[in-house]
Amino acid sequence: MSVLAVRDVWKLYHGRPVLERINAEIGEGSFVAVVGPSGCGKTTFLRMLMSEERPDRGAILLDGLPLPLEPTHDRGVVFQRYSVFPHLTVLGNVVLPLEFARSRRLGKLFGIAKQRAEEEARTMLEDVGLTGAAPLYPAALSGGMQQRLALAQALIRRPRVLLLDEPFSALDPGTRADIHALMKRLWRETQMTIVMVTHDISEAFRLGTRVLVFERPPVQPDGAQGGAVVTHDIKVHERNIDKLQSRRATPTGDGPGAVSVTSRDDLATA
Amino acid sequence: MRLINRHPNPRLARVLTASPFVAVAVVYVIASTIRHAANPDDKLLPTIAQMGAAMWRMAAQQDMESGDYLMLNDTIVSLQRLLLGLGISLAVSFAIGVSVGMIPYLKRLFVPFINAFSMVPPLAILPILFIVAGIGETAKVSLIVLGTAPYMIRDLILRVEELPRPQIIKAQTLGAGDWQIALRVVVPQMLPRLIDSLRLSLGPAWLYLISAEAIAAENGLGYRIFLVRRYFAMDIILPYVAWITLLAFFADLGLRWLQHAAFPWFAGARAQ
Amino acid sequence: MGSSTLSRQNFLRGGAALAAAAATATKATPARADVKKHFKLAWTIYVGWMPWPWAAEKGIVKKWADKYGITIDVVEVNDYSTSINQYTAGGFDALTITNMDTLAVPAIGGVDSTSIITGDYSNGNDALILKDKTSFDAVKGQKVNIVEYSVSQYLLARGLQMHHMTERDVKLVNTSDADMAAAFETPAVTAVVTWNPIVLQILQDKKAHEVFSSAKIPGEILDLVIVNTPTLKANPDFAKALVGAWYETLGIMLSNTPEGEAARTEMGKLSGTDLAGFDAQLKTTYLFSNPAKAAAFTRSGKLVTTMEYVRQFLFTNGLMGQGASSADVVGIEFPNGKILGDSKKVMFRFTDEYMKMAASKSL
Repeated sequence: MSVLAVRDVWKLYHGRPVLERINAEIGEGSFVAVVGPSGCGKTTFLRMLMSEERPDRGAILLDGLPLPLEPTHDRGVVFQRYSVFPHLTVLGNVVLPLEFARSRRLGKLFGIAKQRAEEEARTMLEDVGLTGAAPLYPAALSGGMQQRLALAQALIRRPRVLLLDEPFSALDPGTRADIHALMKRLWRETQMTIVMVTHDISEAFRLGTRVLVFERPPVQPDGAQGGAVVTHDIKVHERNIDKLQSRRATPTGDGPGAVSVTSRDDLATA
Repeated sequence: MRLINRHPNPRLARVLTASPFVAVAVVYVIASTIRHAANPDDKLLPTIAQMGAAMWRMAAQQDMESGDYLMLNDTIVSLQRLLLGLGISLAVSFAIGVSVGMIPYLKRLFVPFINAFSMVPPLAILPILFIVAGIGETAKVSLIVLGTAPYMIRDLILRVEELPRPQIIKAQTLGAGDWQIALRVVVPQMLPRLIDSLRLSLGPAWLYLISAEAIAAENGLGYRIFLVRRYFAMDIILPYVAWITLLAFFADLGLRWLQHAAFPWFAGARAQ
Repeated sequence: MGSSTLSRQNFLRGGAALAAAAATATKATPARADVKKHFKLAWTIYVGWMPWPWAAEKGIVKKWADKYGITIDVVEVNDYSTSINQYTAGGFDALTITNMDTLAVPAIGGVDSTSIITGDYSNGNDALILKDKTSFDAVKGQKVNIVEYSVSQYLLARGLQMHHMTERDVKLVNTSDADMAAAFETPAVTAVVTWNPIVLQILQDKKAHEVFSSAKIPGEILDLVIVNTPTLKANPDFAKALVGAWYETLGIMLSNTPEGEAARTEMGKLSGTDLAGFDAQLKTTYLFSNPAKAAAFTRSGKLVTTMEYVRQFLFTNGLMGQGASSADVVGIEFPNGKILGDSKKVMFRFTDEYMKMAASKSL
């Protein structure tokens, strides 16, 4: 059975469709990359998965049950920015989820319980390569380190699904390569289900086991425009990168097989 | 080179900083000297020596009637009123600001009301305040609270709303409930912002304190200024004004230091 | 609050005072004045001073100024204390003011001033009011809400003196006149000293009892017109024009004619009340309508006694200037040549010269 099931989902803004007839079954342990031009509704799709927005039609099921109405700890997220808490140290950021789980009233642990949580958090930090940064505040970290921290924070409570919203878009290429490697390793080790939105098509194919392409149909002569649909659902095998390169060289716009990436615009921060 | 790209060296920078202060002092001394040449008893622009003597009398000599050191007494009494008023404003605005900022139902209920209420000039409804709070200490503190709390509440609501939405979502995906989000995410981030709000409220707080002391009082810095104003005692008023300015300046400095020391993360977070 | 607050003692409002005073900073008051043609008189709203704006409006001031070949600006200042400070700083040549304030501000501030018109005295306009108590002695130990250092405090001091008490027997709470009536409505306030029309307003409360008023010390709280002495010496015509205009105006307003009533109605309106309100205030104000009587009062030994009370009061309250060792730091000169205080430093002079000229119709 799929972890996430998206059944005929529509999303309207001011009465106009943004997304139409979206169907997807996302299996256990898969890494789904969602790509598409800016404004195609891919971020809206992710926001529906984290219960920040609700579909106007259709249903989304998590493990066969309707999605909860608000964000819950079974779906972890990493955003492009503002993913970590600036007022907590690196260690504090990773301890926080454990404190939420273990101290329902105050959200704060003391004494032995705190020490134990800190040990777990340190293990997690070691896993993402941030051991030395534990006492620092996020503002002192580079963008790449902040995203490593965001991953560590999101993963420590072992969510059922990890949702990534353009998580690496703001990083420079070298840093991005490192963090891709980390991402891949963590995914393999945890066997977690991941849905990632990105506008970087090479990133989608490098990391994803499956790539969903969202596109809106062209504007009609009368000005009407339908919502985006899934135009391609590509199974990616590992080492599929060469194929990707050739696709990228294809002119965009027409032709059913074309994938267009028109803008580096970032919806996550919009 | 363009003016916007030219910077004074450190020495010149210090001279530039000092020069307006020196200029004002020099102009004052000249004007005072001219007036005193014409009338040795001039009250408008007392000489430095006269102000010094007045301050000596106010600060270092016991009052014949009460045995108090008047300036010390005035300062303590005024600061007590100021701190009590600002303390209440701080507590009220923090509680209301955080809860209203976080909870949509409360936002609907209170924000338009608070916005409208904050437009009411407190000095214009003094008679009502007197009936409710009398004209004693309660009224003075109330006036400071009425004068500063609405702004601080509005400011804090805005600051809570300004917290990036992803942070709040993130906290929920980490399993936090309402209380946990309030205590671990919102409140700690609001504390340094509250200090900003407090710094901006210091000016109005002084204004309302002095107004309150002008309306009815037995002591206090504002009381003294308005009392001696009746006899044009600029030799007391000017040093008192300087003293109030100095107190306000150091209060501001102290708050900045506190923000820096207690919330070391804040400067970096704000810069991002 | 009633709309007709007296501005004579209304000094707590109007924060612009200091700024306005600073604007005149460089105009030093000269020890010897030049002959000049243009003069400025400052007035504030008070029942005894309302003839001035009315006389200016009706052209009476201009008529008399023309007669002496000068011009006179009659300027309203919206705050009594500001008007005194501006006069003292050199911004005006003449001012409407009380005898006590003349001594305490311009005289102590080294600005030699001469009173040319003894206009009126408070004859019940200022009063001590107690809540639920009917005898003066009940004031003992109470907190008294009052405009400190005003004629109210002088009135209270004189009342205490007459009842064998001192200011140490009460506790003063400086309270703005604008808020006095509202303050009286609050439970904690049990005793106030204030002036009309606030007195009339507070007395409407059944719990309020007037236990002392300026009617018990007639002739002590005087309302004057003062002129800067060097200016006066160089320009006696200025004083003549003012005095001429003053008594012509009083003659009209106090006459029992339709013109008199119309004048009082307009003066009432100018001070924010109506004919009835203005007449009620006039009832507790003794206006010297007869210049001969005003001159005689100014020559009397009674005035010397009053000024002795006033200067001792100011000295006791530390208002005779820094380091004053006695009330003698400045001199007050009377028409008969008698001087109270330092005869080498006379800064406050009473003259009956111009009132006598008005009486003998020689202006």
